Amino acid sequence: MNIEQILQAAEKILEPWNKETLRPEANRVDIVMQADDLHAATVALHEAHWGYLSAITGMDLGVDSGQMEALYHFCSGPAIVSLRVRVPRENTSIPSIADILPPAIFFERELSETLGFKVAGLDESDRLFIPDDWPPDVYPLRADFSPEQATPVAEKHVEEIPEQGMLTGNTFVIPIGPQHPALKEPGHFQFTVDGEIVTGAKMRLGYAHRGIEKAAESRSWFQNLYLFERVCGICSHTHAMAYCMGVEKLAQVEAPPRAHAIRELVAGLERIHSHLLWLGVAAHEAGFDTLFMYSWRDRETVMNLLEQVTGNRVNYSANVLGGVKCDIGAEQAEKIKEGVDYLETRIRHYLEVVTTDAMFLNRTRGIGSITAAEAERFGLLGPTARASGLMRDVRIEAPYGAYVRYPVSLVTRTNGDLEARCEVRLEELLVSCFAIRAILDNMPDGPLTVRMPRKIPAGETISRVEAPRGELLYFIKSNGGENPARVHVRTPSLCNWVSVLEKAVGRQLADVPMLIAGMDPCFSCNDRLVSVVRPHGSEILSWTQLRKLGIEYYSR
Amino acid sequence: MRIGTMLKDIIASMFKKNSTQHYPFEKNPTPERFRGNLYYDPSACTGCCLCVKDCPSKAIELVTIDRATKRFVLKYHMDRCVYCGQCAINCKFKCMGMSNKDWEHAALDKKEFTVYYGKDEDVKQFLEKLTASTDAETNE
Ligand code: SF4
Ligand code: SF4
Repeated sequence: MNIEQILQAAEKILEPWNKETLRPEANRVDIVMQADDLHAATVALHEAHWGYLSAITGMDLGVDSGQMEALYHFCSGPAIVSLRVRVPRENTSIPSIADILPPAIFFERELSETLGFKVAGLDESDRLFIPDDWPPDVYPLRADFSPEQATPVAEKHVEEIPEQGMLTGNTFVIPIGPQHPALKEPGHFQFTVDGEIVTGAKMRLGYAHRGIEKAAESRSWFQNLYLFERVCGICSHTHAMAYCMGVEKLAQVEAPPRAHAIRELVAGLERIHSHLLWLGVAAHEAGFDTLFMYSWRDRETVMNLLEQVTGNRVNYSANVLGGVKCDIGAEQAEKIKEGVDYLETRIRHYLEVVTTDAMFLNRTRGIGSITAAEAERFGLLGPTARASGLMRDVRIEAPYGAYVRYPVSLVTRTNGDLEARCEVRLEELLVSCFAIRAILDNMPDGPLTVRMPRKIPAGETISRVEAPRGELLYFIKSNGGENPARVHVRTPSLCNWVSVLEKAVGRQLADVPMLIAGMDPCFSCNDRLVSVVRPHGSEILSWTQLRKLGIEYYSR
Repeated sequence: MRIGTMLKDIIASMFKKNSTQHYPFEKNPTPERFRGNLYYDPSACTGCCLCVKDCPSKAIELVTIDRATKRFVLKYHMDRCVYCGQCAINCKFKCMGMSNKDWEHAALDKKEFTVYYGKDEDVKQFLEKLTASTDAETNE
């Protein structure tokens, strides 16, 4: 099926609720519908197995228009169908679709906390990603928001944690984080355990929330590149790439082929660094510190390559709107090849280690298995989804930039356990190594950049790229000015959390760190919200409560 | 399944030197392209301010002493700079670049992170004026 046919299929499914069809881009169809029809339409798409819910973008269309809009982006291969729902600003009620598609809960939370959408049935008693002392009824992404409105208020009272964490008899609540020796990044989890077995899981993110989407509104298109590059330190290049490609699409500017090739090359190197980093963390969580140390030692090779090519180890700044900054000469190409050859032998070695080491396999084989059907339901992305047999890889489904010219092959497994995730990630690195060599051998000649206008023509675009952790989606809207009107970022980690929370239940507490590490969470990426309601209710501690708890604990 | 899959690596490492380096006694040479501190060459600067315009962190300010004779002072806030290199890309006259030598930033006082670039006499004149105005303020 070509894109047109896929889109037509969706249009046909959505026919009964369709009020207006828009074609913002060649691969997209927007279906305008009423808020009341949303649920039925989602059910229809879901039952027809048409794609997956990739993100929900909320927008305030301004005080003058008096309307707000929510866009439900469904992706199937390269095709994207967005259900557009407009509601008046005074009455922003929309139905929830989380009963059909569990990951929607995250997106709906975001709508509710940043824009004040009233999502039916959403528990609004606790905050998920904006601070506890944020004033009520103030929504940062609304058009009429002003910073003065955000004066902190006294924190809302949240249920107290039970004495000694004990609920009843053998049931305890174990809070982990946001500062915890076993967790290297700021997230907060609460596991309810019955003896050793986890019976409920809950989380709270947002400790590293920086309000980047808001900040973008007041910066120029050029300045924003560096802002979005800093959404994540590990996959900074993919963020910059997604942003650049989106803005270039809006401006109807095509970056030169050489720039695309260099972008893919840096993305390949970045994937190697990211997955090796992950391997180390996962090994460490499993108590296999030898693997941790050696994989991180080898990771230095790729870090040095990145530094040589781009000029920095972390925020590479390889991109610039309209192309790339850094060229790759013959000498550099040699060095990259040398480095990649070494890395390939090491990756093969690690692949053997993770599939044969008895102790490591005890911690990974058959643990946290996710079937393809479950992966589909949780809306998983990236290597986590591919380890369960889902064919989800934007580089292959909807090739962008240089991936058309230098394709990569799909790596999947079907058992969906932690072992499969290790294998998928490491094998993907081999694929990246091949792609890097192919690029170096056939590098197109030509300029590195094209001129970009300062003002970007009005329009909307969706830019999807495959980050190391999965599909990254940028929704970019321009009103024709020097600054973007809205940039919405949906990072892959956000979609993968459901798997951890669902899978922890029924397992031993000792497996939890591995489960968390298994999906390769990136906290700064997804610090936007979250909580999943599980049976055996527990609660979220406010900052004051945490602090009080800490002080009391240490004064004992 | 077997055990000790990484034993070989460990044994091999016993005969190698450490991977970790004893910084600051031992330093990796920085690559050619490394983006350290910004440098500025005032001789070709036209004062167009394109560099200032796109700096994502408002780390540079251009002070015009005399536009007719092309006398400018660039005030550079090292502590705000994110070392992205956009300013250097923007400058059509190649007045700017990022140094790969000068990158170790540690100081006991934040003041040291604000530096002034320009022709010596311009910077001197600018700083004198600056001190004069702050003196005037303190006297008030
Ligand atoms: S390198 Fe980037 S942050 Fe630093 S002065 Fe130049 S534009 Fe500004
Ligand atoms: S862009 Fe170049 S010429 Fe223009 S003000 Fe900056 S340094 Fe001077």
